[in-house]
Amino acid sequence: MRYGHTEGHTDVCFDDSGSCIVTCGSDGDVRIWENLDDDDPKSINVGEKAYSCALKNGRLITAVSNNTVQIHTFPEGAPDGILTRFTMNANHVVFNSDGTKIAAGSSDFMVKVVEVADSSKQKTFRGHDAPVLSLSFDPMDIYLASASCDGSVRVWKVEEQTCVTNWLLLQKCNDVINAKSICRLAWQPGSGKLLAVPVDKVVKLYRRETWDNQVDLSDTSITQHSVTELKYSDKMKHEKNYSICGLAWHPKYEQIAYTDTEGNLGLWEDIGDGKKPNDKVASTVTKGYEDLFDGDDDDYLNGDMIEPQSSPNAGANEDHGDDDDLMPTSGHPTRAIIDDDDNSLDIGMIKANSNLLEKEEDDVDDLTGGFPALPTSSTQQPFYDGPRPTPRQKPFQSGSTPVHLMHRFMVWNSVGIIRCYNDEQDNAIDIEFHDTSIHHATHLPNSLNHTMADLSTEAILLACESTEELTSKLHCIHFSSWDANKEWTVDMPKDEDIEAICLGQGWAACATSALLVRVFTVGGVQKEIFCLPGPVVSMAGHGEQLIIIYHRGTGFGGDQCLGVQLMELGKKKKQVLHGDPLSLTKKSYLVWVGFSAEGTPCYVDSEGIVRMLNRGLGNTWIPVCNTREHCKGKSDHYWVVGIHENPQQLRCIPCKGARFPPTLPRPAVAVLSFTLPYCQVATEKGQMELVLEEHIMKLLELTQDEYYSYSSSVTVECFQFAVGQRLGKNHPFVLELPMQEQYWRSVVFHNYVDYLSKNGYELDENAQSQPVKEQQELLMKLFALSCKLERESRCVELADLMTQNVVNLAIKYASRSRRLNLAQRLSEMAVEKASELATALGDEEEEEDFRTHLNAGACVGCTQIFTYLFFLSYCIAVIASSSQGRVNPFKVSATKKDPVVPSANVLDTMSKYSKKLSSSRAVNKESPPVIKPLIPKPKSKQLLQASAASFFQVRTPSSSEKRVGEREEKAGNEPSGVQASAQDSTENKRPKTGFQMWLEENRANILTDNPGLNEAEVIKEGMSRFRLLSSEERIVWSEKAKGGTVNDVTEDKKRKRPTAAEDEVKKDEEQKSEDSNLSKKKKPLDQSTNVRLSSFAFKQS
Amino acid sequence: MEPAEAEFLAEKELVTIVPSFSMDRVHLIGGDLGPFNPGLPVEVPVWLAISLKQRQKCRLIPPEWMDVGKLEEIRDQERKEDTFTPMPSPYYMELTKLLLNYASDNIPKADEIRTLVKDTWDTRMAKLRLSADSFVRQQEAHAKLDNLTLMEINTIGTFLTQALDHMYKLRANLQPAASNDSQDF
Repeated sequence: MRYGHTEGHTDVCFDDSGSCIVTCGSDGDVRIWENLDDDDPKSINVGEKAYSCALKNGRLITAVSNNTVQIHTFPEGAPDGILTRFTMNANHVVFNSDGTKIAAGSSDFMVKVVEVADSSKQKTFRGHDAPVLSLSFDPMDIYLASASCDGSVRVWKVEEQTCVTNWLLLQKCNDVINAKSICRLAWQPGSGKLLAVPVDKVVKLYRRETWDNQVDLSDTSITQHSVTELKYSDKMKHEKNYSICGLAWHPKYEQIAYTDTEGNLGLWEDIGDGKKPNDKVASTVTKGYEDLFDGDDDDYLNGDMIEPQSSPNAGANEDHGDDDDLMPTSGHPTRAIIDDDDNSLDIGMIKANSNLLEKEEDDVDDLTGGFPALPTSSTQQPFYDGPRPTPRQKPFQSGSTPVHLMHRFMVWNSVGIIRCYNDEQDNAIDIEFHDTSIHHATHLPNSLNHTMADLSTEAILLACESTEELTSKLHCIHFSSWDANKEWTVDMPKDEDIEAICLGQGWAACATSALLVRVFTVGGVQKEIFCLPGPVVSMAGHGEQLIIIYHRGTGFGGDQCLGVQLMELGKKKKQVLHGDPLSLTKKSYLVWVGFSAEGTPCYVDSEGIVRMLNRGLGNTWIPVCNTREHCKGKSDHYWVVGIHENPQQLRCIPCKGARFPPTLPRPAVAVLSFTLPYCQVATEKGQMELVLEEHIMKLLELTQDEYYSYSSSVTVECFQFAVGQRLGKNHPFVLELPMQEQYWRSVVFHNYVDYLSKNGYELDENAQSQPVKEQQELLMKLFALSCKLERESRCVELADLMTQNVVNLAIKYASRSRRLNLAQRLSEMAVEKASELATALGDEEEEEDFRTHLNAGACVGCTQIFTYLFFLSYCIAVIASSSQGRVNPFKVSATKKDPVVPSANVLDTMSKYSKKLSSSRAVNKESPPVIKPLIPKPKSKQLLQASAASFFQVRTPSSSEKRVGEREEKAGNEPSGVQASAQDSTENKRPKTGFQMWLEENRANILTDNPGLNEAEVIKEGMSRFRLLSSEERIVWSEKAKGGTVNDVTEDKKRKRPTAAEDEVKKDEEQKSEDSNLSKKKKPLDQSTNVRLSSFAFKQS
Repeated sequence: MEPAEAEFLAEKELVTIVPSFSMDRVHLIGGDLGPFNPGLPVEVPVWLAISLKQRQKCRLIPPEWMDVGKLEEIRDQERKEDTFTPMPSPYYMELTKLLLNYASDNIPKADEIRTLVKDTWDTRMAKLRLSADSFVRQQEAHAKLDNLTLMEINTIGTFLTQALDHMYKLRANLQPAASNDSQDF
């Protein structure tokens, strides 16, 4: 829909061939439109106001406000005389089928039929008691139907000038402007067997000759009938007078042009399944309607069509049921109404209308009244029920607002802003540079009506589409040129329209409707020219790179089917992306395409997903941000204006309730951060940080100042760590996952360095090494975390991502934290890496430079990382011990002896520790009360396995039988024994006290010493023996009891001992396990403290 | 304190500007500023903003409260209540004056804003005078006024304290004089 005339009554018709639309309006002009997008329609002034127009055989008849009906030639528009006059203005003029006569109905209650060739041959029909609303000639030229404000519809016999019949159908009113409906009548085309009269919300069909009401086309049941094409429009009234008042069918295609009282002209396409006149047509209906409703004008298609609010469903049905998918039976499938207030709009349509959206959405609600159009048809077309093709999105310039706006941004990029003003006073272009040192602001007249623009640090590129006289032009202002002549213009060949333009460094390019891309130098020399596989959507340039997005084909079900070409126009001249499919979010379209400031291609779709080319992974696209996540309201959007990789910034303009910003007041740029969609624990970042801040300060007994003075990188990790505890997220991922995301983001946003250095750009060394350092630091942190989590294989995987130097660091860390196995593996890997590196160095000298750079950069970070790591482990220890104290006071007694309890000034001691690695090691060692040598650990594990194996062997039916028998015996002897054994058996499952554990361990000994003791006596004996143990040993046992799960296996084994004892062969083994117990006495303790440490750190167990 | 001094203090307030030049972070005694990227909003102190604006190196984005709707609300609220209402900024008067003087082209409806702030200011000054008046009249020993800005305190502070001193002296002289009177006879 577009502006056509000034506000007021309008009318519309097609010419005979359907090649143009003719409208007239209250501004007294008749305009001839090539199509809806015709920005320069031919205007013919016919009078002060034009009420109605009709066109046939090169004659244009208009009813104008000087009460005459005039003829103009068409398309020249020369006046060709006056046909007839009334005492009041005519309201409706129509041609008969062969164009020899016209009928005019006037506000002076009269209807006249005049022969076009001879205006003296007039017939006057009197009978209406009020202004005549509309007329319709019978295709057979016998009858004339007229509707009037008196509420009557009359049928006249033309020859005899008599009224054949008269129905009182309509609501009475006193003037046309007050009429509820303009009641356009229609005969069945061709035979004229039926006359259709719109009455309120139904269409009454009357049979010819008999004039009886054959059928009512009501809202709900539209029966199939033999009307092939019926048209009428119904004037709707609503508060804003935003109603359709003129409607015309395209003679060939399934198109309806309409006008409304606001003076707007609109075109519905794809009403039916007919041939598609242009590419924005959706070929099918349902979709077509949705398009209409969604996009074309939210106001009255959504509003008016559906608008009978009493029966909205019906209204929708009526519309849908018009012509194409009518089924031969009565009874329509009820369709869902498209009651769509979210902006799921089709792009082409939106572009045309978005300025109206807000207003229109308001309008939808207060619409009342009838429904506008019921074109019906019986053409039996095959009913297609598959996925519907999506209308292709129109070409656009990135960073521009819709063309139809009077004040719009032609481009907003990182260089500057080009605005275009197109109002009554002025048609001008304003160019403004963000950095005034590049160029001063400029003001240009826009006489050629440029619609496209691009801006770079060396030139301004403008382009306009072709008009009737002028070809499409490319205009370049090369302001950085050193000579005096800074401007050049190139005309496109005839019939070739520029659709998209872009500027690179030293070149300019335009894509045209002839599917060609033309490249020019910035000085105006024509360079390469190449074909595009499909119509262009948008293009962008940066340095030597050119990215072109085009339609690969037709998308279905709301999706666009786009392809992308990325090429380098420099010396290399190669294509990087060969028309690969462009991934877009479902049902979205492209809204921005361009390069980051560093030269990485990026694009944004209408769902707000920003994707970036990941050169590190075979030129794939990676989503780096979802701008919709940052929006507050559902209808808010971010309008992207630029992307920077270093620092990581997404520059965009927040738009409240719109997709793009207005030019005034001048919008302010906001900066969004990138987030790769890695799996993360969803925590509110701000909330998390606050909680953490408070928590970490409490844990480390820091004052606020101390806390802030501390290196942020360290505290953030501690924060995350502490929040994991505080929020009860017993998931190590709280800490790990964000770090992983951070790492990969850093990697992705560092790709450009690689690319640029490959292309021979000199880069700041610091800029190169900084991200590498950051990445390696992150990896090291992750490594340390995984170590703490005892995920050694993950450690190895992480180490695989590290550079040589950092791997060495990791090995050191692993060995220091007594993970010899891990250290071993890592060192193997390091050797492998080193050899790989050596070969790589030998092979490629170019890469060597770069690598050493990286390594040098990484080296700088090494010492920092190291101190950090020890701080981290220290923190963990502190947090673990203090949280231990908080969570489980029971355990504090065991660790109380720790000298780790933080002194008042933790930071002092901390820095000492980090300086002196050995002492920090001591901190780690000090936390467990008993220090266990490293070597026995694997050994005891083996032993455990061995004894466990023997246990499984022993567990035969015979032994269990024996046991059962024993028990029965005891049961017979004394009930207390049974009780004891029952108790014993439950306790066997999980010993609770140190004594019980000790008893389990030593039962065999007791039994061998005193065979024949019953259970109670065994316990008694055990008691006395246990008392003999030293207090330290007893503590050890009670510790062991608390050790928990680790001891399960040993418990099982121990439980078996009584039976094993009877087996002589097992005795040796028992002895062995006895030995192992000695080591175990220490071991579980050590292990348990370790476990506890990590369990309190991560609440893992 | 002179109004100029209050204004000087107000110049430390931060405002957002959109620079039209590119510059790295600058390290100043009062803290780091920048980096300045053309077209990207950045917060700077008012003194710098004005200096840049005068050299046409930036475009100023007015503070959030410097908006006709919000100021109307504030003015109405100020008129409605007998006590002082909290102001959007402790330096609202100074900032309005500075920004409107130097960057009125970047502030939509600058004149209206000027009038609104002046109205609010007048209302508050009237209240202040009124309360000073009743304070003196009732011979109170102390009074408390909330939500006064520095500038407002300074407009009345020096005068009021000196006036009270004088009054105290006069009163102090009055009483012995009264007792002396009887002795004259």
